[in-house]
Amino acid sequence: MLWAYIYCYQLTLDSHIKAARSKRAHSQLPRHESNNQYSSLASNTPVAVYCSKTNKITQCNDIARKEGIEIGHGLAQAAALCPYVHILPFSEEAEKHMLTQLAHRLYPLASDIVLDNHIHSNSVNGLAVRLDNLTHYYGGHKPLWKTLTQALAEADIRYHFASAWTIEAAKVLALHKFNTYLHTSDDIKKALSACPLSLTALSPKVIDSLARVGVSCVQQLLAMPVQELGRRFDNNTIMYLTALRGETFPRVTLFRPLEHFDNFILLPFDIENTQHLTPFVTQQFEHLSHYLRARNLYTSSISVHIHFREAPVMDINIRSALPQSSVKSWLPLFSLKTESLVLPEPATAIALTCQQFEEMDTQNGDFFSDRFNDIAQKQLIGRLNAKLGDNSTFQPRAADSHQFEYMTVTEPSVGNCAGNYAYSSDITPTFTFDVPKPLIQATQICFGPVRLHSEWWHDSPTKRDYFIAQTEQCVRLLVFKDEESRWWVQGLFC
Amino acid sequence: MNKSLSVLNNHPHIWRARDQRQSETKFSLGFPRLDKALNGGVTSTGLVRISSLTGMGELSLFKQVICQHRTHKLVVFINPPGLLQSPWLENLGLKAQQVLVVKPSSEQESLWAAEQCLKSTACHCVVLWSNAVNQKEARRLQVAATHNDALCLLYTPPQQQASQLGYPKASLSDSQATPSNQSDGALPITLDIALKGKPHALAVNIRKQRHGWPKDNIVISHRWTPDNQAIKWAMAHNTLSDQALHSVS
Repeated sequence: MLWAYIYCYQLTLDSHIKAARSKRAHSQLPRHESNNQYSSLASNTPVAVYCSKTNKITQCNDIARKEGIEIGHGLAQAAALCPYVHILPFSEEAEKHMLTQLAHRLYPLASDIVLDNHIHSNSVNGLAVRLDNLTHYYGGHKPLWKTLTQALAEADIRYHFASAWTIEAAKVLALHKFNTYLHTSDDIKKALSACPLSLTALSPKVIDSLARVGVSCVQQLLAMPVQELGRRFDNNTIMYLTALRGETFPRVTLFRPLEHFDNFILLPFDIENTQHLTPFVTQQFEHLSHYLRARNLYTSSISVHIHFREAPVMDINIRSALPQSSVKSWLPLFSLKTESLVLPEPATAIALTCQQFEEMDTQNGDFFSDRFNDIAQKQLIGRLNAKLGDNSTFQPRAADSHQFEYMTVTEPSVGNCAGNYAYSSDITPTFTFDVPKPLIQATQICFGPVRLHSEWWHDSPTKRDYFIAQTEQCVRLLVFKDEESRWWVQGLFC
Repeated sequence: MNKSLSVLNNHPHIWRARDQRQSETKFSLGFPRLDKALNGGVTSTGLVRISSLTGMGELSLFKQVICQHRTHKLVVFINPPGLLQSPWLENLGLKAQQVLVVKPSSEQESLWAAEQCLKSTACHCVVLWSNAVNQKEARRLQVAATHNDALCLLYTPPQQQASQLGYPKASLSDSQATPSNQSDGALPITLDIALKGKPHALAVNIRKQRHGWPKDNIVISHRWTPDNQAIKWAMAHNTLSDQALHSVS
């Protein structure tokens, strides 16, 4: 057997960063003061996650680390080192939610996933994925691991990983921050023997008694015969040790995805009015639409749960007359429903659940007509670029200029940044030429003049009077007269 | 004899002028006279050739066809005669994400790109500028389009010039090109139209259409650019003062 262990050491912090980033991306349209206030939150504020049960900082970002805060510090020490540190409360429930979401994300790629979030004193959160049965389908270890890491990168999670013959052994290596993919038992053995005993799940008492006989790292433990160990330790310890050596394979509960949709996110900051909730709810709806799409389903009722610090959870049930799945159709319903809603206190987290699904009507051909559209478009662009060269395809985008030369930018079509501002103009031609050509045929003016000055920051200022002119063959041209009264053709109206 | 004739009668590719096919989906152009002549509009799939000069409103003529159907799919412009302007697309009603421009370096590449786009099932409409489409290539595009539920608009220069210039040269150079050029006027496509500009109007000649008769000289009034109509009207109806400052043609 071969298992990979993925140790997610800062789930709360990751979800905070992700949420703050998506907030920034979504809030481009309404440029409120809130945007400026919060956008700086993720990137240049020290953030630390504090567990009140143990009075310890459990996770902190790089900026906090630079300020001197370390994992294991108390709250007072952290506050003394850096008075403006942003503290997030640690919650086991929330971390469990996030881990489950990650498992949901990996489930389409890997069948056997074990959630490992037993609440220990050091609260390790991780996922174990069985690999040996998958290599056959992926055609080798490398493509399999590439696919999994790709999915993890998309989830935007920091993690340490390792692979070994059992979950227990892989976990020890992952906690050791081994971060290398191994699949031969010799390599695993070598890597494992370097790990200290403190990383294993042995109880401190056992580690203590082993240390007394001079056993301090896994190598010595692996070398010991089982009979020897059996005399000294209880059953549980023996079971763990044999698993660590790869001799037995303890039974584990495999992760099974939920039959209904349940998605939960912590908000990066407290939200007081419902308008500011919209970007986060949009994110949830996106998850929902992906979920439904993958399963060929529609839904006609969803519920949004808003969590608060003190007040009970607020449930908002939204129903639609027609079963639907897209973000576009659910979001307006949500905003209508919450328009008049007043939150009793600032919201800290939101969840979206959906219990009832409806099967797609298979008679309806529309669904299938655009089902693979997104992938087909990407494939098409990829194929065209591969044959014709990378710069051969582009999507014209509006640029911030009123001059016809600079109105449109042509980027390679891979980038997917949304244009934030589009200059619209009635008299834009269909096509412009690279450089204006002198007007050499008889034309009749049918629209104009429109006088355009170039922007002051351009080197050569121009002042042009634009007209739409028609030739004898009824071809309509964009012509202009420059300051020296010469006539030029710049574009065509098709 | 009788039996074989009845078999022939049932062949789906034989069309009689007396039976009107109802099953085809048509996209209306928004010009009643033209739609009537085309039996409802442009077919939803297949290859349509439009021979016209560039700049006669030949793209705006297909505004409804391009913008109002299958809006989740791409509209691809292959080998356009200039830099496509995004505000114009916006005015037409196309979103920027929906548009893809392909700039191939040769005619062969643009035909290849057109076929790939049609076959990808990601495209609603492929707009191709090319003047080197012969019978074989037209057939390929036609099949690719009809099998993948897409429309291909092929823009070529006006036909008279092409046939006059290209004819003798081709027959001298190689014998292979001759049959394709002879039947240049009759490509195996769903619709072949020619546009001719008239002052303040557009004359459409339907040279060939599937399941219909050719029809010449359908004059439609087509306005695709802003004009000075408002100013002219204001000048004409100006009752306040008699003196006109400028006269606008």
